[in-house]
Amino acid sequence: MWSTVEGRFALSILLVWVFMAVLSLVWTPQPLWATDGQQVWQKPSHNHWLGTDGTGADVFSWLMAGSATNLLICLLTVACAAALGILLIAATVSRSALVANTSIVLVDALISIPTVLIALILAVPLGASVVVIVLACGLGYGLNLARVARPQALLAARSDYVIAAQVSGASAGRILVSHILPNIMPVVAVQLSLSAGSSVLAESGLTYLGVGVSSGVPSWGHSLATSVKLINVYPLTALWPGLLVTLVVLSLNLFGDSIGDAIDPQSNSALREAA
Amino acid sequence: MSSSKLKTDVQEGTVRHEDTTAGPSTDPVLNQRLKAPRKGNPLPWQLVSALLAVVLIAVLWAGRSYQQPTAGVTAGISKSVSIGFRLAPANLDIRNQSGAALDQALIGNVYEGLVSRDQTNRVMPSLANSWEISEDATTYTFHLNPNLTFSNGDKLDAEDVAWSINQLMEHHYHDADQLQNFQSVKAIDKDHVQLQLTAPYANILWVLTGRAGLVFDRKAQYDPKTQAVGSGPYTVESFTPNSSLVLKANTRYWGRQHRAKTETLHLRYFADDNAAVNALKSQDIQVLAPITANLAAPFTKDTEHYSVHSGAGSDKYVLAFNNKGSKTSDMRVRQAIRYAINHQDLIDSRGGVDQPMGGPIPSVDPGYRDITNLYPHNPERAKRLMAQVGYTPDKPLTLRLTYPNTYGTELGDQLRSQLKPIGINLQLQVVEFSTWMQDVYTNHNYDLSLVDHSESHDFSQWTNPNYYYGYDSKVVRDLYAKAMAARKAEDTDHYLAQAAQQVSQDAPADWLFNYRITTVTLTGLRGFPLNLNQTLLNAWKISYSPDKPKTSGPAARALYDRPKWRSSDHATFLQYTIAG
Repeated sequence: MWSTVEGRFALSILLVWVFMAVLSLVWTPQPLWATDGQQVWQKPSHNHWLGTDGTGADVFSWLMAGSATNLLICLLTVACAAALGILLIAATVSRSALVANTSIVLVDALISIPTVLIALILAVPLGASVVVIVLACGLGYGLNLARVARPQALLAARSDYVIAAQVSGASAGRILVSHILPNIMPVVAVQLSLSAGSSVLAESGLTYLGVGVSSGVPSWGHSLATSVKLINVYPLTALWPGLLVTLVVLSLNLFGDSIGDAIDPQSNSALREAA
Repeated sequence: MSSSKLKTDVQEGTVRHEDTTAGPSTDPVLNQRLKAPRKGNPLPWQLVSALLAVVLIAVLWAGRSYQQPTAGVTAGISKSVSIGFRLAPANLDIRNQSGAALDQALIGNVYEGLVSRDQTNRVMPSLANSWEISEDATTYTFHLNPNLTFSNGDKLDAEDVAWSINQLMEHHYHDADQLQNFQSVKAIDKDHVQLQLTAPYANILWVLTGRAGLVFDRKAQYDPKTQAVGSGPYTVESFTPNSSLVLKANTRYWGRQHRAKTETLHLRYFADDNAAVNALKSQDIQVLAPITANLAAPFTKDTEHYSVHSGAGSDKYVLAFNNKGSKTSDMRVRQAIRYAINHQDLIDSRGGVDQPMGGPIPSVDPGYRDITNLYPHNPERAKRLMAQVGYTPDKPLTLRLTYPNTYGTELGDQLRSQLKPIGINLQLQVVEFSTWMQDVYTNHNYDLSLVDHSESHDFSQWTNPNYYYGYDSKVVRDLYAKAMAARKAEDTDHYLAQAAQQVSQDAPADWLFNYRITTVTLTGLRGFPLNLNQTLLNAWKISYSPDKPKTSGPAARALYDRPKWRSSDHATFLQYTIAG
């Protein structure tokens, strides 16, 4: 991964992200809740590296604290999507025609519902919270993962070595873990890293719509939502969170590409030679 | 046969394949079917270019002449003025449709009432030029102006007035409930109307300046959702729901004093702040109200072309405490919160325009006194009070603040920050307005709530123990009853002030600030009302003379402008406010 420029770039940004998220739990340049009515919409200065927002709080500190929330959302979403996706893949390649066909129809039907709509519906009983984002994105991306990875999984499931494994008495779970999953790993890894990027975007969008992270919890979407109203007057304040989201999403996508290249034997010559 | 055909095709195909320029396809059959390309220029380019040029010039010319109306000036005064607003009326049926946008557009302009309001919220003559109040303050006799007419030419007489009010009560039209203690209304003769109350009600004249007092033509037939027949200085020319309303000067207007100064008024409604600001920048509109003060910042700098004003209003940002709630029923907690809040800090962050409030009555209502000294900003005292209840910053009391998402997240963040040092952990719950209505207003399931109570003369909410505040004070109820029973305005004012002081002392809520309306006008626009212009817009005096130097209401500016002007966030507040 480190061998390509894209990989290096993506990895460095992601490492900085994780570092900032961990650091923000113990330290931020300014206290988060230091609002000051006299110091609103300040330009970047020595005290406030990226200026202040509409409450007079430090933008950099809020973005730093937001990176922890976003990292959490990102990891939880990926975990959710992976769990759901792999479960669905297992179902769709099942040898039982009933299970396979039902799950395919289910995936196709559910995949037509937009993530935002799912989030809006979930926000009715749950209110604006991290859970809404994680559930909505996890569901949406999990379905997507199942749909994209199914052909490869099917190929693997119908292959001779799986039949051989079945004949020799291997259980379905064992076949899934030791034969099917390794075959679809490149696709799954790429899809999940794309999902991670999308979850960062989704957090910003949903928080902007008021169904994402609840008020009072720092997140990039919160910083964006509070500053974007005045983008004509104070463009810088909206620029920082926007830039950050762009950078991270780009890195996650490049990371996905690199990881795909790195673990896919078809594109990675080193792996091919080793095999 | 088919095999021989195939053979020739293959042979021909081979031949063609060598000659790659012979046709676009390697299949000779397809190539044969192709028509030969026409020689020479397929389109007369010169003609097309000339036509395009003509069309382009025509479009540009049309665009230029389309802009003419706003800039079209006769003898220095523009014939039309375009005004930008935020909230649009859904239809024009003022008797059934709620929303301040209708009051703003139609009352005093298209429809008139027995009485009207001036810029300081005082009752003024309108259709009635004078009135008498009986000794027991239950009988009001109104004297109508002579020769009143509707815009369709019908005469307006006392019968119309009595009919309109009777219809209001009979059909329970919008604001019928405001006409409290109503007994009867009748026309004594063609110029005199008598209103009978069951008991004195001091607000009755003010109520009659609103929808409850409007006079409709009992003979006219029209669709009230899209048309309007009133007696005001303007008539409705056209109406596009949620987009625009065009008012035309009423040529048959009965009065002299309120005769329209501008022939056509375009009221345009912008759902998006930035779109409204762009319309003002391109001078598509000459006024914008309200604008968030942050967005007004660029106009404040450009004094050559724009004037930025602030006007008084009755909007009260009420941070209500659930007086029957388990955590906030302790008065010390409520008092501590009031001492802990730095109102000036909140106001400054919004641009320093809004006014601090010490109690429930805003400056435009009777009973207003400056009682901000009752609970001055005093975090130390707040801390001591919280310590008495048993809470410290290390062991904080967790309270939930529920408020509608239209007010933005800043206020919640600021309050959380201000209450943290005194030992309150404020959890913010920003919800849809409908959720707020359900949870807070209806079910009283909340600790703290924040909402803009925009109505004027709405003190009665503090006398209702079942209102969502859960505030119950016999002293306040008695004082309010006295105020409403008083015949003289001074007495009403006196008792209301006492009641407001008592409410404030009991700390059932904190009043964050009294919102002031920010209006931006182009230089040369005159007579635009600055106070209360979201509910009351006396449009007859608006005029625009673009060539003149900046003269838009110097007296008004001196009264209402503040030197400092930065920010305030305010979007669709009127839509999301509730009637007391």
